[in-house]
Order: sequence, then C-alpha cells, then structure tokens
Amino acid sequence: MHAPPTILRTERLEKTFSGGDAQSAVAAVGGVDFQVGRGEFVAITGASGSGKSTLLHMLGGITRPTAGRVLLEGVDLATLDDDALAAIRRRRIGFVFQRYNLLPELSLLENVSLPLALDGATPARCEAAARAALEAVGMAHRGSHRPDELSGGEQQRGAIARALVTDPAVVLADEPTGALDSANSARVVELLQRLVAERQQTVILVTHDPAVAAAAGRIVRMQDGLIDTDSVGTPPP
Amino acid sequence: MNLRGLLIRQWMRRPGRALAAALSVAVAVGAAVATWAAADASRVGYKRLTEAVAGVPTIDVTARDGKRFDAMAVPRVVDVPGVRAVVPLFYRPSLLRVGESRLREVAVGVDVAALVSAGLLTLESGEPCREDDEVVLDATLAKGLGVVVGDEVLFFARRRVARMRVTGLAATDSLRWFAEGATVVADIQVLESMSLSTAEVDRVRVVLAADVDREGVLAAVAERLPEGLVAEVPAGRASLADDVLHSANLGLDFVTALTLAMAWFIVGNAMLMNVAERRRGLTLIRVLGGTGRQVRRLVTVEAAILGALGAAVGAAAGLAAAAPISAGIARALQTRAGDVVVHPLLVPVAVALGVVIAVAAAWWPARQATSVDLLEGLSVLPAKPARESMRVLLVAAVLLSVVAFGCELAMAFGLLPPRASVISGVVLLLAFVAFTPFFLIPLVRILGRLVPPRWRIEGRLAVEQIVRQPIRTALTAGVLVVAVSNGIGLGHAIRDSVDDVLGWYGKMLRADWVLTQAGALSVSRQERGAASRDMEAEARGLDGVADVEGIGVATGRISGQVCVVIARDLPSALPLPLVPVDATEADVRQALERGEAVAGTVLAQRTGLKAGDDVVVEVFGRKTPVRVAALVVDYTSGGASLVLRRDAARRLFGMEAADVLLVTAAEGRSPALREPLEAIARKHSMFLRSFGELRGFIDRIVSGVVGSLWSILGLGFVVGSLGVANTVTMSVLEQQRSLGLLRAVGMRRGQVIGMVVLQSVLLGAAAGIVGLVAGVTTALFIQFASQPLLGHPLALHIRPGVVVANLLAALAVTALAAWLPARRAVKLELLEALSTE
Repeated sequence: MHAPPTILRTERLEKTFSGGDAQSAVAAVGGVDFQVGRGEFVAITGASGSGKSTLLHMLGGITRPTAGRVLLEGVDLATLDDDALAAIRRRRIGFVFQRYNLLPELSLLENVSLPLALDGATPARCEAAARAALEAVGMAHRGSHRPDELSGGEQQRGAIARALVTDPAVVLADEPTGALDSANSARVVELLQRLVAERQQTVILVTHDPAVAAAAGRIVRMQDGLIDTDSVGTPPP
Repeated sequence: MNLRGLLIRQWMRRPGRALAAALSVAVAVGAAVATWAAADASRVGYKRLTEAVAGVPTIDVTARDGKRFDAMAVPRVVDVPGVRAVVPLFYRPSLLRVGESRLREVAVGVDVAALVSAGLLTLESGEPCREDDEVVLDATLAKGLGVVVGDEVLFFARRRVARMRVTGLAATDSLRWFAEGATVVADIQVLESMSLSTAEVDRVRVVLAADVDREGVLAAVAERLPEGLVAEVPAGRASLADDVLHSANLGLDFVTALTLAMAWFIVGNAMLMNVAERRRGLTLIRVLGGTGRQVRRLVTVEAAILGALGAAVGAAAGLAAAAPISAGIARALQTRAGDVVVHPLLVPVAVALGVVIAVAAAWWPARQATSVDLLEGLSVLPAKPARESMRVLLVAAVLLSVVAFGCELAMAFGLLPPRASVISGVVLLLAFVAFTPFFLIPLVRILGRLVPPRWRIEGRLAVEQIVRQPIRTALTAGVLVVAVSNGIGLGHAIRDSVDDVLGWYGKMLRADWVLTQAGALSVSRQERGAASRDMEAEARGLDGVADVEGIGVATGRISGQVCVVIARDLPSALPLPLVPVDATEADVRQALERGEAVAGTVLAQRTGLKAGDDVVVEVFGRKTPVRVAALVVDYTSGGASLVLRRDAARRLFGMEAADVLLVTAAEGRSPALREPLEAIARKHSMFLRSFGELRGFIDRIVSGVVGSLWSILGLGFVVGSLGVANTVTMSVLEQQRSLGLLRAVGMRRGQVIGMVVLQSVLLGAAAGIVGLVAGVTTALFIQFASQPLLGHPLALHIRPGVVVANLLAALAVTALAAWLPARRAVKLELLEALSTE
C-alpha cells in the first residue's frame, strides 16, 4: 500500500514566547519534525502546556514560528506576508475552535459562507457552498438560525461546516469537543471521521480526551514541546 | 453576505453601540457648529457693543496744523481695502431756540441721507434732512425738549437765523461715532453755507469695515495724502473696547479650538471603544482568512457611515441650538440679537469634518485591531495595553510640549504673533492629554486609597478597571481634562484681564463727575486754552466741589508711531493714577514734577523705547525732545500713551486746553452738582457724565464680555458632559460581560452600580486634577500671549471658587454619566450579560 502524499510538513519547528527578558522566555515548542498525508486523521494529545495547541496554531499560520518551517502543500508559510498568509488560511485551511467562534450577528448560513465572502466569491456561490457544507454536517435545516438559537453541539457542527466550505487542504480543530457533553462530543467526532472517510479530508485535531484521540487514525503525543510518541491506531496507555 | 452585510448585521445586533458611536460624532459636530455660531454671535455682539460705547472703528484725516481744510484736497481713499465709507465732517457751535428754551449746542454737517442709507446713522423716527431748512436732532435732546418730527426750531448761525423743520430724530448711540457731542445734524453743504465756510471741513472720518487691521488701513490712507494732511487714529478715542476685548477674543479662539479638540477626543474614544469591543470578532475574520486591509476597510467604512449620520444630526442640532445661544449671548452683551447667519458651507463642511474626524479616529484602533496577535485577539481576556502605544504616546507628549513651549518662546521674541498662543495652548493641552495615562494611573491608585473602607472591594475593582485600559482612560479623561482646563484656565485668564482693566480704571477715574470736551471744534489752540481756563475756574468755583483736575489730550507721534499725549494736573494730594512698571510711585511723581514724561507699556513695546530714553515727540506739528522717566500701565488708546504734567505739556507742546475735567465733590455733595455742572457743560459744549455712568459703560462691556465667555464655556462643559456620558455608557457596555461575571460570583446589583459609579468618579477626580494643572498653564499661556499687546505682565491669581466649581462639576458629571448605564447594565439577565461577546 502506498503512503498518502504529504500535504503538511514541519522542519525543526520551534516557538518561544518571550516574556520581555531571556529568563522569562518560555519554549512552547522546541524543534518538531512532523508530516501529515492527505486524508489522514491525526490527533495531537498531551498534558496542558505540552505545546500541542501552539503546534496547531503554527500549522494553521495563526502564529509564526520562532524557527523552522511549516510547509503546506509545499508552500513555506514563514515566507509569506500577512496578506498571502491570510489567503492560505482562507482557501486551504479550515479552523474549528473549542468555543465555536461563530459571529453572533450572522445566521449560521452566513457564518459558514464567511470565508468565501472574504475571498470575494459571488453571493450565489457563497450560499450554494454554505448550504452544501451545512448539508454535509447535517445542519441544513438550521441555516437561518443565529448562533444564540443553537445548542453547543449544533454550533460546533456549524463551525465544522464553515471549516469545510472552501474545500481546504487541512482542517485544524483545537479541542473541538472541549465545551460539549459526551453525546455531542461523540457526534462531532463521528462527523470528523466520516469527513475523512468519505471526502479524504485531512484533519488534525488537538485534544486531551483519550476517547476523542482514539477515533483518529494516528495519535501524536507531545511532552515539553517535543513529540514524545507518534503512533498509528490505538493511543498509548 | 459581504462585509457590508456583516456591518449592517452588527449594527442591528448591537444598535446601542452603533448609536453611541454615531452620537459621539453628533455631539462633536453639534458642539463645533454651536460653538462656532456662539463665538460668531459673541464677536458680532462685541462689535455692536464697541460701536455703542466707543463708536465704529475709524481713522481721521486732519490738517497737520489742526485747522479746517478743503475737502477736495483729500484724495480718493474709499477704494483702500478695509474702508467702508469716507465721511467729511464739519462742526459748528450754535444756538438753538425751541419755544422759550435757548440752548448752546454743537451742529455737525454730514451727508445725512448717505449715512442713513449706509447704516451708519439710525433714525428713530422721520427721515433724513435734504433741504436748506431741514435738520435732524439727537433723539435724547428732542425728547428732553418735547420736540417731535415736523416741529420747527430756530437755528442761530453766523450768516443768518433760520427757522428749520425737524425731519428726523437720530438714535443717540448711532451719533456717537462722528457727532463728538453734536446734537444737531444738518446737511454739510447747508451748514457750511450758513457758517460762511464753503467747502471746508474739520476732518474726514474714514469708517473701517469690521475686523479690519486698523494700522494697515492707516498706513495705506496716509500714503495717499498730500503734504499738510495726516491720517491718525482719533485722539482720545480710547480703544477701550479693543483692550478689554483683547483677552476675550483670545479666549473665544481658545474655546473654539478646544471644543474642536474635545470633539476629537469624544469621537476618538467612541471609535476606540467601538473597535475594542469587537476585538474577537475582527480577529476571527482575520483567522478565517480576512486580510488586514479588509478589516481596516470594514472599520473605516463603518466610521464614515456613522460619522456622516452623526454629523448630519449634530449639524442640525448645532444649528437649532445656535439661535437660542446667540440670543442668550446678545442678552449677556446687552445688544440686540442679530440674525444667526449660517454660512452656506457650514453644514457641508461640518458633515465632511464629522466624517473625516470619525475616519481619522477609527484609523488607529483599526490599525491596532489588525496588528494584534491572532491568538491574543481571540482570547476572551481583555487586551493588554500595547507597550508600543505607550511609548508612542510618551514621545508624542514630549514633542507636543516642545512645540507648545517653542511657540511661546517665539512669541516672546516677537517671531510669532500673539494669536499663535491659541495654537500653542491647544498643542499644550494635547500634550497634557498625551501625558495623562502616565499621570492618571498613579493618581487613580492614590485616589483609590481614599475610598471609604465600606466600598473597598468596589473601589479596588474600579481602580483595576481604569488601570487596565490606559489609552481608553486617557481619552475619556482627555474630554474632562479639556473641559476642566477650559473652565479653570479661561475663567482665571478672563477674570485676571478684567480685574487688570478695572483696577486701572479704578485709579484713572477717581472723580465723581467727568466733563469731556468734544475735541473736534476747529478753534485755535489759544481760543480753546482760554475757554478751558474759564471752564475750569467755573467748575472750581461751584459750591460743593472739592477738587478739579484737568486733562488735556492731543495726538502725538514718536518714531513715526501715533500716540496719545495726555497732560494731567496730577495733584499731589491724590494717588498717582498710573501703575508704574519697575519704578516706585514716588520716583515717577518726582520725574513728572521735573517735566519728564512716562510712557504707556504698549507705546514702549511699539517704539522700543525704555525708561530713561530721550525721545522726540511731535505734537501740533512741533517736535520737542522729552525724557521718558518710566513705563506705566495705561489702557488709553490701547496703552500707546505718553503722560506728563499739564505745566510741562504747556511748556513743551503748547497744550493749554483741558479736554477732560475730573470733578470731585465734597462729601455728600455729588448729586447736587449735576445741575450746575450741566450748565457748564452746555455753555462750553462738553459732555457731562457721572463717574457712575462711565463705570456703567465699562461695566457693561466687562459684564457682557465675561457673560458671553461664560456662556460659551458653559456650552463647552455641556459638550464635555455629553461626551463623558457617551464614553462612560460605551465603557459600561464593553464591561457588560465582566459585570455579569461579578454578579455571578455574588456581587449585589447595588455593589456593581457603586463600582461603575466609583470608577467614573475616580476618573473624574483624577482628570480634574490634571485639568487643574492644565488650566493654570492655559491661563499662564493666555496671559503670556497678552503681554506683547498689553505691554505688561498680568499676575495670575488663583481663585478657589473657580477651581472648586470646576472640580465639583467634573465629579458631578462623571457620577451622573455612570449612574444610568450602570443601572441598565445590572438589569440585564445574568445569562445575557455573561454571553455578551
């Protein structure tokens, strides 16, 4: 069996948060080499402060690394200016956050279409793509509702639809079940699994929940800013 | 759904926030329009007051030898820029018989119809005289005599006795600028013919347009005159109003400029909060792939739309407020209210200004919103103040201070005009506001310790809330700092200037009655001297007169500058009516007795002369060297005066006549002197005024000016209050989630309201203290700027009443501004408050 083509790769990736002087600087991620193939479902786990969220933010171009490189579909994110990086985030990366981060003043349909609208797509295309994305997550019937009219699980599924609307190269999910009860968590995980299986969607999620991590095909465990283990299948005990 | 749609959804979801932002622009633009209109109304009022008291601004063309001259010898000057009209004047003492009354009156010949049509002479009734046997009478005189339009009077002239019909009654105020005491107005050719003096005039009075540079026009007119004629500011016509109004005008400029600055702070703060409150949403747009440019465009387009809406509302409100404000100011100045003339460009300019200010104010927070770290921007925790912003603020504050003090130094050395103090004052105030976050935080912490123990928790939280947002705090405080410093600074500057002038008049006018020579009759100096001696003797001989002091006034020239030469008796029994600068009263008195002179500080400033200099003074065409013993504070003719004893003036310049007699009554005899003094006045063609009347004139100017300035200051404070109310409301909206959290952890609603009010009051107190320092500095700036014009320093007297009133007003405004939004915030359902984004 052939290995899937690499879609995302890091080389000696580092991130240090400076506290104003050398003594108070914190190395959140210290030299990570890591790669993800198309259609992989990767869970990054680890204790609080292990650097998993920082790694995810660097992969998504939300934070720039202190050293090293992130290559998404062969493009080095560190070499891009702010506008080009914004275009990559808009077109090639889908984000899912723990707190959903839907704009409260927009309907769910409008929230989902926002990345396309930012990219200058026509209203018709925005609407059609958003409806399709909502359909994919089973939320088409709630498109006209505003976030405060939806449950937490529904909001998160809406957020996943928003992440999918531009058909991104990779979906990055930061603790997507962190604010949900177990039933809703299970539904979100199941949805992500289905996207990987049916659409060959690459998904990288950060979680500290072993049950969620277990749903992924590959589990990367981080400790003190470094990859401790990188295993396929069941998570390490 | 594009970004425009997102904007509209945001407004629909949070109409209060958008409304508050638009309201801030409305307040700012409304304030600017209303202040502008009020300042205009004040200037018009000042002009009318000046015209009523001192006459319209004029310069005179006279013969160098003081005699009559041919009017045709005056070249055309009406085309000189700033000249409104050219009025030849011919005066003639005459006898008037009305029924059984015989009166010695002065008649003035002018082109009556032309003056009336030019608006320079107001007829209370009737029409201008045009025929040989027609006259116009002073309405006050006519009223006293019971004469009405259509009556006939007998007029005794050199050529004949004529029976003349009264065609009109002239308003006394409108005669003042040219009649010089004349109460009978006739056509100039008729009067000349009756006086056997064809084509000769006493003077040609050149009427100037309002707000024109009198010195400039004077020079332009003088340039065209032939040898033998001179152009000069009418001697003895003290530019009292100019002097009193000088500080007031500076004050008006300050108030207008500071209101604009305040408007900027109000809008800036509102826009800052409007953006800061949506920090997470704007960051999310960037995380989802929106570019910085898109976010900046979103914010600036929003600012432009809200700015335009707010500006339109503000301009309408400002215009609506302008009429009553102008009427109030006219009442304060005791002048008739003029129609509020709105420049056609005012509204479009105000709206454009509102949009520009709103966009400019939104630009910085928009830039901040797009430069903030994405992770930090997504955080639910409040944003930390950027160190870079604080550094920029510090640098800006230092630079602004350097510019302000540099301007003041340049003014001190005469490199910049005194009016530049308006700019430097505003720049200094901006510097104060830029320094505010650095003063304010420690100040708030200190004030926080003074909060009574029962409100310790509320006080602690209030302090932290203020401290964590230094930029926003500085802008909110900036509005208060400007309002308080306006009140304190201008309050002190106005009072000090007014007290300075009043103090001088107190010394100058120490008599009970004042007899004033018209000073326009073309009789020889010898004739006038003789008449004057008779008049003085008659006054001294009256029963109940304790003392009579004669004052002679003449136009002089020193180093090409026109000055007023004042010759006074200066009796040793009375205190010296001058305020010496760097000299004692005894030294000045001794120097005057030696025949030396003292010079007004403004004259010294203009000519560069110093105490101890010998100068050549030209009076009546005669040039005489005089030693200037000292400089004195004097407001006569704008302080450009040379004062000496009458005996010295007689010897040096041949000044015999007393143009003014100051009559001091014996204890309790003043009222009884009115009748005999009136008889002397009539006989010698003088005005009689009681000291009280004269003080009344001066008080009328002073109280009017002070009243109008206080009105505009009050307007500024109202604007400041609205601005503070608006920003505090927005601040409470922004804190809604935090307030909900506090309630969730057990804080009572009353405690939350207390915390918000305390927060506002602490801010008000701290801003009041900074405003106090800024206000005192502003007052010093205004006074420093007045120095080159007044020629002497004004002492700053701190007035506790003004300070306390301003500080209390600041506290009251901030407490009230916080109360309502705090009450509204705690009424929200807990869950709703907690879910606020």
